Amino acid sequence: MRKRSMLLLTGAVALVASLIVGPAATAKSERQAAGTVIIGHDQEPVTLNFYITEGNAYTTSLAMNPVLASASVYNQNAKLVPFLVDAAPKIVRANPLTVSFSYKKTAKWSDGRQITGADFVATYRTYMNPNYDITSREGWEDIQSVKANGKKVTVTWKKGKAYAAWDALVATSPMPAHKVAGQNFNDLWRNSIDVASGPFKWQSWQRGTQMVLVKNNQFTAGPKAKVDRVVFRYIPSTPSLFQALNSGEIQVTEPQPQLQIVDIRKNRSKFKVQSGPGYFWEHMDIQFGPKGHAALKKQYVRQAIITGINRNQIKQALYVTPGLVGSAKELPVLQSHIFKPFEQYYQPNWKKWSFSQKKVITMLKAKGCTGGPNTPSASNNNIWSCPQVGKLSFRFTTTTGNQLRQLTFEIAQKQLKSVGIELQARFGPSGTVFGQVLPSGDWDIFMFTWLGGPTSSATSFGLYGCGGDQNYMNYCNKKASNMLQKAQFTPDPNARAKLLNAAEKIMANDVMSVPMYVRPGFLINSTNVKGPVLNPTQQGSTWNAQGWTVS
Amino acid sequence: MLTFVIRRLLYSVVVLLAASFIIFTFVSVSGDPVAFLRMQPTASEITIQRIEERKHLNDPIPVQYVYWLKDMLTNQFGTTTIGDRPILPDITRVMGHTLQLVIAAELLAILVAVGIGVYSALRQYSVFDYSATTFSFIGLATPVFWLALMLQVLFVYIYQWTGVRIFYVANLSGVDPGTGIHFLLDRAQHLALPVLVLMVASIASYSRYMRASMLEVVNSDYVRTARAKGLPERSVTMRHAFRNALIPLVTIVALNFGALLGGAVVTETVFGLDGMGLYFINALNNGDPYPVMAWLMVTATLVIIFNLVADIAYGYLDPRVRYE
Repeated sequence: MRKRSMLLLTGAVALVASLIVGPAATAKSERQAAGTVIIGHDQEPVTLNFYITEGNAYTTSLAMNPVLASASVYNQNAKLVPFLVDAAPKIVRANPLTVSFSYKKTAKWSDGRQITGADFVATYRTYMNPNYDITSREGWEDIQSVKANGKKVTVTWKKGKAYAAWDALVATSPMPAHKVAGQNFNDLWRNSIDVASGPFKWQSWQRGTQMVLVKNNQFTAGPKAKVDRVVFRYIPSTPSLFQALNSGEIQVTEPQPQLQIVDIRKNRSKFKVQSGPGYFWEHMDIQFGPKGHAALKKQYVRQAIITGINRNQIKQALYVTPGLVGSAKELPVLQSHIFKPFEQYYQPNWKKWSFSQKKVITMLKAKGCTGGPNTPSASNNNIWSCPQVGKLSFRFTTTTGNQLRQLTFEIAQKQLKSVGIELQARFGPSGTVFGQVLPSGDWDIFMFTWLGGPTSSATSFGLYGCGGDQNYMNYCNKKASNMLQKAQFTPDPNARAKLLNAAEKIMANDVMSVPMYVRPGFLINSTNVKGPVLNPTQQGSTWNAQGWTVS
Repeated sequence: MLTFVIRRLLYSVVVLLAASFIIFTFVSVSGDPVAFLRMQPTASEITIQRIEERKHLNDPIPVQYVYWLKDMLTNQFGTTTIGDRPILPDITRVMGHTLQLVIAAELLAILVAVGIGVYSALRQYSVFDYSATTFSFIGLATPVFWLALMLQVLFVYIYQWTGVRIFYVANLSGVDPGTGIHFLLDRAQHLALPVLVLMVASIASYSRYMRASMLEVVNSDYVRTARAKGLPERSVTMRHAFRNALIPLVTIVALNFGALLGGAVVTETVFGLDGMGLYFINALNNGDPYPVMAWLMVTATLVIIFNLVADIAYGYLDPRVRYE
């Protein structure tokens, strides 16, 4: 009896002791990890190969951009800065568009081989191999020839097919020719990668938990990394991500918009919070096709809709008032579908549609619509009926389970109802609404996000041109469409921007879609990590990881 | 007995097939694995079409189901829709992690719950009994996600206040988990909070069963006879009462264990544990029916097996139960 009790007591003491020794043991290993920056992210990559669809995710770019470096890197202002190349690539000839650039003499693979034009040729061939699941071959398809001479590369596009975003295309991370040769690219770098061109090398990946990058000592194309390691910890729950940040388990994170950011923002001694507009923009598309509401084919109805929605108030309610972004200036109302507010060529082409409920009523009355209210009223139940097109009651489609979209809808619905325009919710799971409803054209107004990037403006034809691949609205204005098409093949950025802005002015007058807001991005880092700067592109916050320091 | 087992297994195959078809239909209708590609203005239509053709996404759902069934039987659950990634290695990995979590939580919960249940029964209507009953009801009524978040907040607060890290609030292991005893301690520090969360509900439930069962047994004739024979109280309690009182608990634990192996979805998601539950949620979010179906088949099979184990164990422990 006494012996058993002693055994039980010993067991209990051992258990308690382990809890005391445990923290000490781990504390030791944490001290050993000096020079390590730990980034927390809510999504884990599926593969390390970011060229293919499986790896086409922000989280893959975030982890792999410091490993397979781009020839030129997008900086915090979304401008391309030479990284592996000597200088910004230059246009040698305008027609056919011919571009030339040279990799730096100091640009080397981590196994010591020189990065040369042969690597870019291998990249081109891989992109164009139809057997590989490359996410986008845009621009690559129109290349006539790629010539490599040592470190120098000359790319020529087909005549009349001058690819507008050529600078982004040649900035692509070159693939190591000696590694991709003879490999099935779809299966390459699925779980590991033994080569690097950037300031970090891939070291390990414990799926479901973390990925570790270590300093690439062979990197000589620029300043070497100041930290020894960058560790990506994968924590799928956003609230847990914040707890991990508070408890020091992670030091840097790019969270989804959550109210915890407001609390973290207050703790300035421990955390630095950066926020700003990105390339993902929310918008309400209007259906012009035969399955859409007849009233939406009338310009005055579309103009009434955009005038009746207070886009500034929606943006304020979603992001500014809760304190998610530091100030309203950080997140201006989106007044362009084509350029984003931080871009050089951004023009507020949609600014003329300022919110005015009285104006909506006046406009609809002037067009002979009847049955609506005489003055705007929150309790209004009278809906307008317009000549030949019937009642202004529209199906509003978007995804279920997205609180920001739900709130946007509720605000817009109330605002429009108070002026006699009705929105009826037709929400559905993302698979159904994107897979079936959106391409079918059987909707009136559809709210969703385009996941754009710095090259999206150049390829606006696909979204808004007559017969564009992703013009689900069936919108067609021939004049604007011709400009958008011409812009696709205009390599000079100034001339292209002029065309795009001219086209957008026409589109804004047509009101084929309502630009809502650009989704803000957030970057939070502990103050003991210096250097992280928010980057609005797919390059992600690790774009300058080589310059980070940790104390 | 053998006939009983074979009959149960045959029924189970039919149940599995029916369940798999229903779930496959729901997942296929509600999800679109290439939706994220459609939202990208530059995504290649050719690539999207290739994926759709390869995975027969444009075929009617019954046809897609047959392709999936063929893949599952001949190709170890098949591959993911995007990227053709083999599913079996992922399922094996996450199952290992869930096993660590569930075994630790269940073993500790059984130990504590049996102790509480037995002591409550032996000291019926005592302060301890009332307290245990109250805490059991609180434990049963507490939402798992809330408890998990509160524990995270508590231990973050302790860390910020004292500078000592007792338990981690996320993931399965540390950045440098070390080897040997350091690795075990690191794993224990990471699993402690999720284990605690799972334990609370299990203890609350098991202790009630144990108390009720023990009360029934201690008042039975054969226990009275054992006492009348002059056996010491300890021997009466442990040998005659306790062993028989365990029978209902064995059944409950077996059933619960089978269900938990499918993953403690909420606990794993909150603590970012790479287990079956989180795997399921991720697969569902991606709208990819193949990994969802793999999860379903593994989970359903485990539930069926543990149901069978519970039935067999019940018959083995209680000679009065006979299989027909």
